[in-house]
Amino acid sequence: MAYAYLFKYIIIGDTGVGKSCLLLQFTDKRFQPVHDLTIGVEFGARMITIDGKQIKLQIWDTAGQESFRSITRSYYRGAAGALLVYDITRRDTFNHLTTWLEDARQHSNSNMVIMLIGNKSDLESRREVKKEEGEAFAREHGLVFMETSAKTASNVEEAFINTAKEIYEKIQEGVFDINNEANGIKIGPQHAATNSSLPGSQGAQQAGGGCC
Amino acid sequence: MSANESPTDPAAEQMVEQASATTPESPTEAPSDVSPDIAPTRKTRRRPEHKPPPADDPSPQEVSESKPESPKASNESAVLQGGWGYWGSWGKSLLSTATATVATVGQGISQVIEKAETTLGIPSPEELSAQAPQEENTDGGTAGAEGEAQDDTAMGGALGMLSSLSSVVQSTGKTVITGSLDALEFIGKKTMDVIAEGDPGFKKTKGLMIRPTTLSQVLREAKEREEQQTSEDLSSDVEKKAHYGMLFDEFQGLAHLEALESLSRESEIKVKSVLTSMSGGELAQLKADLEEVSEPFSLMEFEDDDDDTKEDSDGVEFAKELRDAMSRLQLSVTADKLTQARTNIHDRIADVKSATPVSTTEEDEKDEADEMAVPQHTPEDVHALAISSLAELTAKSIELFHKVAQVVLHNASGNAQISTGDQAKVLAQITIMLCKEISLLSKSFTCCLTTVGSNEKGEVLNPLITGVFLEASNSATYIQDAFQLLRTVLQLAHIQRTADFAQ
Ligand SMILES: Nc1nc2c(ncn2[C@@H]2O[C@H](COP(=O)(O)OP(=O)(O)OP(=O)(O)O)[C@@H](O)[C@H]2O)c(=O)[nH]1
Ligand SMILES: [Mg+2]
Repeated sequence: MAYAYLFKYIIIGDTGVGKSCLLLQFTDKRFQPVHDLTIGVEFGARMITIDGKQIKLQIWDTAGQESFRSITRSYYRGAAGALLVYDITRRDTFNHLTTWLEDARQHSNSNMVIMLIGNKSDLESRREVKKEEGEAFAREHGLVFMETSAKTASNVEEAFINTAKEIYEKIQEGVFDINNEANGIKIGPQHAATNSSLPGSQGAQQAGGGCC
Repeated sequence: MSANESPTDPAAEQMVEQASATTPESPTEAPSDVSPDIAPTRKTRRRPEHKPPPADDPSPQEVSESKPESPKASNESAVLQGGWGYWGSWGKSLLSTATATVATVGQGISQVIEKAETTLGIPSPEELSAQAPQEENTDGGTAGAEGEAQDDTAMGGALGMLSSLSSVVQSTGKTVITGSLDALEFIGKKTMDVIAEGDPGFKKTKGLMIRPTTLSQVLREAKEREEQQTSEDLSSDVEKKAHYGMLFDEFQGLAHLEALESLSRESEIKVKSVLTSMSGGELAQLKADLEEVSEPFSLMEFEDDDDDTKEDSDGVEFAKELRDAMSRLQLSVTADKLTQARTNIHDRIADVKSATPVSTTEEDEKDEADEMAVPQHTPEDVHALAISSLAELTAKSIELFHKVAQVVLHNASGNAQISTGDQAKVLAQITIMLCKEISLLSKSFTCCLTTVGSNEKGEVLNPLITGVFLEASNSATYIQDAFQLLRTVLQLAHIQRTADFAQ
């Protein structure tokens, strides 16, 4: 319950690439086979542990539909991390990455950590985008890259946690001003109160209340 | 702790400030005949105007700096002192009001009230709602007349207590429940009017009420304080369960609220920029239109219908009414999540009731119940359940408003037949529905509490009952405040629609 930091994430990318499924897999360890179009934005939260510290991830799962773009843009602000997702079985979702990236960079803070995700890696037979292409795109734009499957849960934990690690490192390096909430980071009560006492007070990772 | 509470984006915040500062009269403000001393009329009630923040807007940091850095040892007294301290200086600025509301949110309040009761001689809430539970348990065919009587008792109880608080407030110059008084509107209209008419103290206090700067800020601070407290006191599981602010956050209420606030702010900026780009007849027309969209936000209509006698403990009627209202909005947004939550809450209440002996004064009945060996619920359990239910329903209500805001902006050019002004009216009705439901729920829970705790001492039961009423009243306030955020969103939607139509 108590955490040292809170990081705000945003998940973006074309409709149907599996953003909501990635979130659901991460928070509830479930897979949803039906596509429920997200309206505007949905939320999820989960506690993770990095470097012995409890970190709460507050995740904003946005609608990929073009027509929601003007609304979802206003949610980019104040995010510390972004998962930019495409679908490896649909080339068009990969082609749109540049637009997404421009949008994200324009509407968020410059330190935001962006993780590029090629989702649906379980559908190898229908693959349209090679892993190397994803890697190349990430390298070119300074992103972290990973292929995931929201269905099999492959790399899903890693995607969210590695992003958090990256943010955490930036905090250690002093890149992020953690006192400015616009950076999507907040210091939690645990940090302030129990730093010195009680080692790892509540060790277990918790799924954020199954309410969404 | 203090430094990390700056607004999400200072630059943008400043923009809003400037926008509101440079526009001398917001064209959309409610008519200016809102005077603090107008006696509430029977049918309608005006909300206080939504005031822009003061020009020299003190930053939120100052709030937290002036907050007592509550050391673990003196937790309770810190809350108390802090609370009373701020209440003492209330009304001087929006900020102090916000802080006062914070002090009443989520935690500490039962101690505050308990203290208030003992020091100020306020009637015990337990007495006030004690008569209710037995009838509730008979569950039989006599629901009609008895149900009504019971209504009056329970509602009268809450009101009696709060009203006496408000007169104390007036005479001592301290504000006790600032944010909550407004919500009393929903805790039983008839009783309310009687009290408002016969109680100048109440009127005066209500008139003085000022809204906090941002709602999510209030709730966030409450939650953070609770988290701070629980992290200091890891052993206290019970405490944790009954923390409204934390629960509200867990139900993602805070996230939806922050997002809704952000949409509302941006809509306001856009509306203002459109207005400044216009002149002459065009401007006058648009102002008139926007005024019409605004109207339902300053005028809450209470129908003199059968609501007081309505029996809807399972929430079926509520679900139906809400569904109807949602369909009138023509936005293809459903309230399913909310009604589902309501149903679950009802089931949980039913569980508690079935596991609780119908405790009359007869001892033998109690023995009977013991034989059933159903797990017994403690008053603390019921209290925790009540607080979590209220937090859940409030979070879901705010989520619903947020959904509506997003779809309204998204669909602005869509095919809705209904005017934006009429959508605003429907949303006002929904707000009232939600607040009434909150008040019904609080009644069920306090009845449950008095039943379950029939053998408890007043010192145990009183703070729990008071806590439920207060969080219910806070919940209603949050829902109304979230509703207010829809005003600028609907105005922008109206502008978008008109523009699309013109093309
Ligand atoms: N096989 C497979 N299917 C997936 C995977 N992830 C998502 N899907 C399917 O893809 C569809 C869309 O998933 P969503 O998560 O709803 O898509 P989204 O990105 O949230 O879409 P929007 O909300 O419209 O932006 C659903 O039918 C999922 O079952 C995956 O890793 N593997
Ligand atoms: Mg989605």
